[in-house]
Amino acid sequence: MATVYNWQIGREMEYPYPEARPEKQWGAVFDLNKCIACQTCTLSCKTTWTNNEGQEHMFWNNVETKPYGSYPLQWDVEILDRLGVSEWSSDGVYEGDTIFEARDVDWEDMAVDGDPETMHAKGIEGYRPEKRDWAQPNLGEDEPAGKAVESDTHIDGDHHPTWFFYLPRVCNHCTFAACAGGCPVQAIYKRQEDGIVLLDEDSCESYTECVRACPYGKSMYNPVELNSQKCVGCYPKVEQGRVPQCFENCLGKIRMHGWVNRPDEADPSAPVDYLVHEAEVALPLYPQLGLEPNVYYIPPINVPTDYLTQMFGPRVEDAQETYRRARRGDEEYRKLRAVLHLMGSTEWRIEAFEVTEDEAIGYDADGSTVARVPMTEPQYERERFDADNDVYRLDIT
Amino acid sequence: MGEDGELELSRRELGAAAAGTAVASGLGILGYRRLTREGDPGEDGPMNPLAEYPNEGWDQKYRDIWEPDDSFVLTCTPNDTHNCYLEATVKNDQITRLGPSMNYGEAMDLDGNQASQRWDPRVCNKGLAMVERFYDERRVKAPMVREGFMQWVEDGFPRDADGSMPEAYARRGEDGFVEVSHEEAHELAARTFLELAEYYSGEDGTESLLDQGYDERVVEETRGAGVRTMKFRGGMPLLGVIKLFGQYRNANSMALLDNHVRDVSEDEALGAMGLDNYSFHTDLPPGHTMVTGQQTVDFDLASIEYADHIVLDGINYLTSKMADCHWLTEAKLKGSTVTGIFTDYNATASKCDEVVTVRPATDSALFLGAARILIKDELYDEAYVRKHTDLPLLVRLDENELLRASDVFEGYEPDDLEKTDAVAGDGDRPGVDVTDVDEQVITEELRREWGDFVVHDADSGAFEPVTRDDIGDDFEVPATIEGEFEIDLADGETVRVRTVFDLIKESLVETWDLASTAAVTGTDPQAIENLARDFADNQQRTMLLTGMGPNHYANADQHGRAAFLLAALTRNVGYRTGNVGSYSGNYRMAYFNGVSQYANEDPFDPELDPAAPARTDKRWDAHSAHFYTNLDKPLTVDGEYFQGDSHMHTPTKSLWVSGSNSILGNAKGAYKIIEKALRTGRIEAFFTNEWWWSMTCEYSDIVFPADSWAEHHVHDITASVTNPFITTMPETEIDRIYDTKNDAQHYKGVAEKLAELTGDDRFADYWAFVDESEYRAKPYLQRILDRSNAVKGYDIEDLLADAREGTPAIIMTRTYPKHVGNEQTRDSRPWYTKTGRLEFFREEAEFAEAGEHIPLHREPMDATPYEPNVIVDDSDSPVVAPETPDDRGWDSAATARDTSDRQVRNVVTSPSELVESTHPLTVLDEGYDYVYMTPKYRHGTHTFGSDLKQMAVWWSNYGDMGRETERDSFDERKPYVGEGFVEMNPEDAREEALQDGDYVWVDADPSDRPVPGGDAADPDYTRALMRVRYQPSLPRGVTRSWMNVPQTSHKSYGATQERDDGKAEAEDTNYVSMYRQGGHQSATTTWLRRTWLTDSMARKDMLGQNMDVGFEPDVHAANGAPKESFVRIEKAEDGGVNEAGDPGGNWRPVDEGVRPTREDDRMTRYLRGDFTTESEGGD
Repeated sequence: MATVYNWQIGREMEYPYPEARPEKQWGAVFDLNKCIACQTCTLSCKTTWTNNEGQEHMFWNNVETKPYGSYPLQWDVEILDRLGVSEWSSDGVYEGDTIFEARDVDWEDMAVDGDPETMHAKGIEGYRPEKRDWAQPNLGEDEPAGKAVESDTHIDGDHHPTWFFYLPRVCNHCTFAACAGGCPVQAIYKRQEDGIVLLDEDSCESYTECVRACPYGKSMYNPVELNSQKCVGCYPKVEQGRVPQCFENCLGKIRMHGWVNRPDEADPSAPVDYLVHEAEVALPLYPQLGLEPNVYYIPPINVPTDYLTQMFGPRVEDAQETYRRARRGDEEYRKLRAVLHLMGSTEWRIEAFEVTEDEAIGYDADGSTVARVPMTEPQYERERFDADNDVYRLDIT
Repeated sequence: MGEDGELELSRRELGAAAAGTAVASGLGILGYRRLTREGDPGEDGPMNPLAEYPNEGWDQKYRDIWEPDDSFVLTCTPNDTHNCYLEATVKNDQITRLGPSMNYGEAMDLDGNQASQRWDPRVCNKGLAMVERFYDERRVKAPMVREGFMQWVEDGFPRDADGSMPEAYARRGEDGFVEVSHEEAHELAARTFLELAEYYSGEDGTESLLDQGYDERVVEETRGAGVRTMKFRGGMPLLGVIKLFGQYRNANSMALLDNHVRDVSEDEALGAMGLDNYSFHTDLPPGHTMVTGQQTVDFDLASIEYADHIVLDGINYLTSKMADCHWLTEAKLKGSTVTGIFTDYNATASKCDEVVTVRPATDSALFLGAARILIKDELYDEAYVRKHTDLPLLVRLDENELLRASDVFEGYEPDDLEKTDAVAGDGDRPGVDVTDVDEQVITEELRREWGDFVVHDADSGAFEPVTRDDIGDDFEVPATIEGEFEIDLADGETVRVRTVFDLIKESLVETWDLASTAAVTGTDPQAIENLARDFADNQQRTMLLTGMGPNHYANADQHGRAAFLLAALTRNVGYRTGNVGSYSGNYRMAYFNGVSQYANEDPFDPELDPAAPARTDKRWDAHSAHFYTNLDKPLTVDGEYFQGDSHMHTPTKSLWVSGSNSILGNAKGAYKIIEKALRTGRIEAFFTNEWWWSMTCEYSDIVFPADSWAEHHVHDITASVTNPFITTMPETEIDRIYDTKNDAQHYKGVAEKLAELTGDDRFADYWAFVDESEYRAKPYLQRILDRSNAVKGYDIEDLLADAREGTPAIIMTRTYPKHVGNEQTRDSRPWYTKTGRLEFFREEAEFAEAGEHIPLHREPMDATPYEPNVIVDDSDSPVVAPETPDDRGWDSAATARDTSDRQVRNVVTSPSELVESTHPLTVLDEGYDYVYMTPKYRHGTHTFGSDLKQMAVWWSNYGDMGRETERDSFDERKPYVGEGFVEMNPEDAREEALQDGDYVWVDADPSDRPVPGGDAADPDYTRALMRVRYQPSLPRGVTRSWMNVPQTSHKSYGATQERDDGKAEAEDTNYVSMYRQGGHQSATTTWLRRTWLTDSMARKDMLGQNMDVGFEPDVHAANGAPKESFVRIEKAEDGGVNEAGDPGGNWRPVDEGVRPTREDDRMTRYLRGDFTTESEGGD
């Protein structure tokens, strides 16, 4: 009964609770090729939700430069190191341990309930960052790895031997959320209507097991409120059919919010499902951790594949190649280009899209058009002399 | 890391947490469970929180936070070229958050053309963080007057024997501030202006200025009018025509004061001086004016997606063009190739298909190397070169001037031109606020002087005259592009002539072979070759975007000339799909050429009918603010002036600035100005309008509190050089937060006091429509709209109605998106040059003297490991013949070492000689090894936004909110929650025995920085102390600090010494610096060049279609070079703090093993991707 199927790792796995997927799942695609690390997403979240005393260190949304950046400090190095070398089979099945399996707990034998005495979270691999690990949210910004930069460094092509990229991060609203799985008082739950994972701040008893269990470092402790807090998926907006703050404010236009289904129930007319399941260009973050995270990333094409495989799993190379083919103008990828164009053009959730000769069009749940973007921005030319207004329209005035 | 499973909470915290839960939550899940389930697990077993949750009601908390009471649209207008309508969410009458208007897709022009939703959202990190800036304690909350200044006024303006302000009254930076009423502040300012106008007028005034040691020629420029020692400046005034350009209206109104204090008629009365902006910020690319005669060629950034090849040269697009980055990444997605030319592997490099590394400020050499390939291999577009450039024109080798038709053809009389209107005299020129003129306008005198030109007909072998009309499709002569000829002149003389192309080719071929180009630029030869081929393969399909990187060096003009050469050779100038653009600053006031209706309204006859147009009479003059930062000294060596008369400035006795921290607090050479001009009393009054207490406020005499961008009670308007929108500022829907006024209301307030003091009501009448009830400046705005080519037809009320919805209007230039050059390439209209063509040959005497007739590479003025400011050329070209130190009898080595003389030192060296040479500082101290750059970055727009707490913590490695909360802080040396730093190649740092995160001293040339006069004169607060960061993106020898962070003031330095918490936060003003001492501007100064300061170069006026020669603010003017620095970096303190709380050990991340070049084993494995493997097995 504590065995669930995680499609991202291609197998069943252990989890404290039985599988129970929501009616709809909050999902996202972030195109890392477009992220510019402006931190506007970060500020939109910060100024909306975590602006109070006790939340100063708290960035539910952050953007870190990979590979030298990490917030909290070393969050991914730490969890990867704890799990050891993870192995994927050539058919995409993850053969190593997830964080729910690494400690060899028999979840069936453990009383997973709301009794803090049980402290079932101990069965989840994780660690609790120190206070000072939250100090430098932008450590490593724009610092490259790989080949040292010389005065004559010349990079020719989109594989960069010297490299970094930006990784924007929010709560993944995981299908198998470790925070929810680990909360000793069952104060973290997944909403049936949209799959958003919420931490009931009234019921939190500050065991900070969610902080320890979430391998993404996205549950945070508030030393003034004396409870833990996390990203709320902007449910007040999502309930109104709007996209979350960090999506609406994303001026790099890298983010698409929508519902994501499991592969066997994928709806290719929905943009997130299209990108994840049809184009297979968007991948989960550290799928080997076993949480089935619901933010999907289009991997950057400039970055070495080994590093990205560690981060996004074995399908990275294919995804990079798909993106490159889209760039080359291959006709079969026209739809992909169109969906990526649609990103960030509306504050409304696009539930279905359509691509015409010149445009990509997005519709909301009612079928109303909420986004319409031309594939190329239109060009207009005016008459040199505007007789109506008795004025020359000049480029140089 | 914390131990596995260990709770870091104390028992007290835990107890409090439990208590808080019980009290705050009502039931909570605990209570729910107690009531419903305790002791009864139920039939369904334990709850599955993936499937159910019984206490969902707690979530009302975030719905309450989200739901606004109200919202309204405001306009965010920092100097970043974007301008964004932001939707402000209001709760309990306070703005709680900001967001995009999401209405740019609704924008329309007068013809009904519409933008698309691809423009949304328009917003950025600085904009969103701005809420803190509205409400924080650092707002300028009321009028503040410096104590010493108040005393000086109250004491009746006592003066030293030479007439200057006594130093005792000039303790700027140290004095306290007194809060006064608006009325008092305005009166103090008015009395001061009256005093200055009186004291410095007439013979006595002139005598006093000379006694005070001002240069004679500079004093002469006052023309005996005290008002001309008074300077006015609105910071980047396009960003708010009423509130910022209003400073120039202010300057114009001072003619009333001159009329009052001097015994001159109204007609003879002079206005005050306005200072430049774009050129002062070094954002002007002076080469653009030299090649095109137009301020700057550019295009809306949305246009790049039309190009196949996008070349980004020294523009860190990702960090400085945020709102328009998606056009780049989307263009790339659709197949455009992106090439980046950078000094490092930066944010933008990570998005490029090809990355070319150059030594800082050698882009001109790179472009010349590429141009050589195009020319040598004949890869250029002959037709374009022939029809649109001066390259086929003939140059007389005896005079090094363009051959004139009148030289050749006996009795040659210049014809009337069709595309140019030659008027009888300056008095016959049309105004700038006319919209029915489309011809360029010159005087008959200029027409005669410029004459017509000559080409050689390749078919007939004859010489043919060429006029300004004969360009583009209207030029059909098969002109010889390359060649040298002997020609018999009309006067019987025989001279040798060569085409401009021929001369340039000689210099390029003999100087810039691949190996030499690579040696000078440090660039991979293959990269140079690729660049040339890519331009050749993408004719009319390459967009070349140049940015602040190369622009901020003293050779920026040569960079621009070389960039245009490369682009012109490949037909990439003036097309929608192929063009050159320079991107720094939002400068083009000319979008509103009708602004003279406002700025230049006749102060003696102001129009008080709101529906009637104004009568204009411009009384103010301008000069470059560079001379104020040069302590009012002209560019002279041994008494010889290297500064044209038209550029001549006046002594600076007062300065009134609005929204302008770059003029002082973050000016190049800031500490020089503070120590030598402000704290000496040479400048007698410094007034600042601000809404955030900047470093400029720290040193001001009166700080007038300005409304924030959330509090517009007076309307305004702006436009942008990178997007096609007109942004009109609607009125606020919140009450004022503090006791502030609109900038223009402060001008009016002072004017009303001047009216009282002088008895002349016209001072006050001049601002009649600045109010916040009836007019809100709308009549002024409508007058501007009605007389500006690009916006005529728009009605201010309509614009405001849309603005309230967050919808801008589209500007009515020729095209959407807009771009410059369309008319020249497609309509065969002339450029704004003498020849009407893109000019690569500069014949003026100033260029001859500097040896810069043709595009060349000059080494940077200071930022080079080699001999600075030398011309690099290895040809025997007759047109590379400057006046050298030998010609002038100067000691060559001494003039190279002297940072002032160096500016006019002309020495020609070959590439191989150059790379063997050394910077003169290297003999001073072996530590001088590093070029020091101070570019802009993503966490601030200039200094706007960078020091908000929620922004400061993102300044890379040294953020720490613990500095604010005091809960978790572990290093009390930190000046603030974020701090400034210098970045260095890790190998260089190790060689200097510097550990990542250490504190270091950064010292530039001690003879003039931070303060002229050598080390001894430098007060402690001015010497730059900052962290050093290992930055593997930088090649060796190159270092960098970001210029956006606020610098040390007297009071912030004092705070680090005196406050218990060590924070660099001034006790009384709340000013915070992000350095402990000094800052990036400790290493910078003003630099001047002869070729920026000509009286002879033709160029368009800033506004309208008039052309003239010589100085024009923001068009042809001193341009400075803020990144010019060569430094020594020495350790000051360990980066870590030991247990005793003293400096000691490493900065923590170093010991954590996560830093570049200091990785521990697991970090090394992580970087390689070793934590994952793929097995061979499986199905």
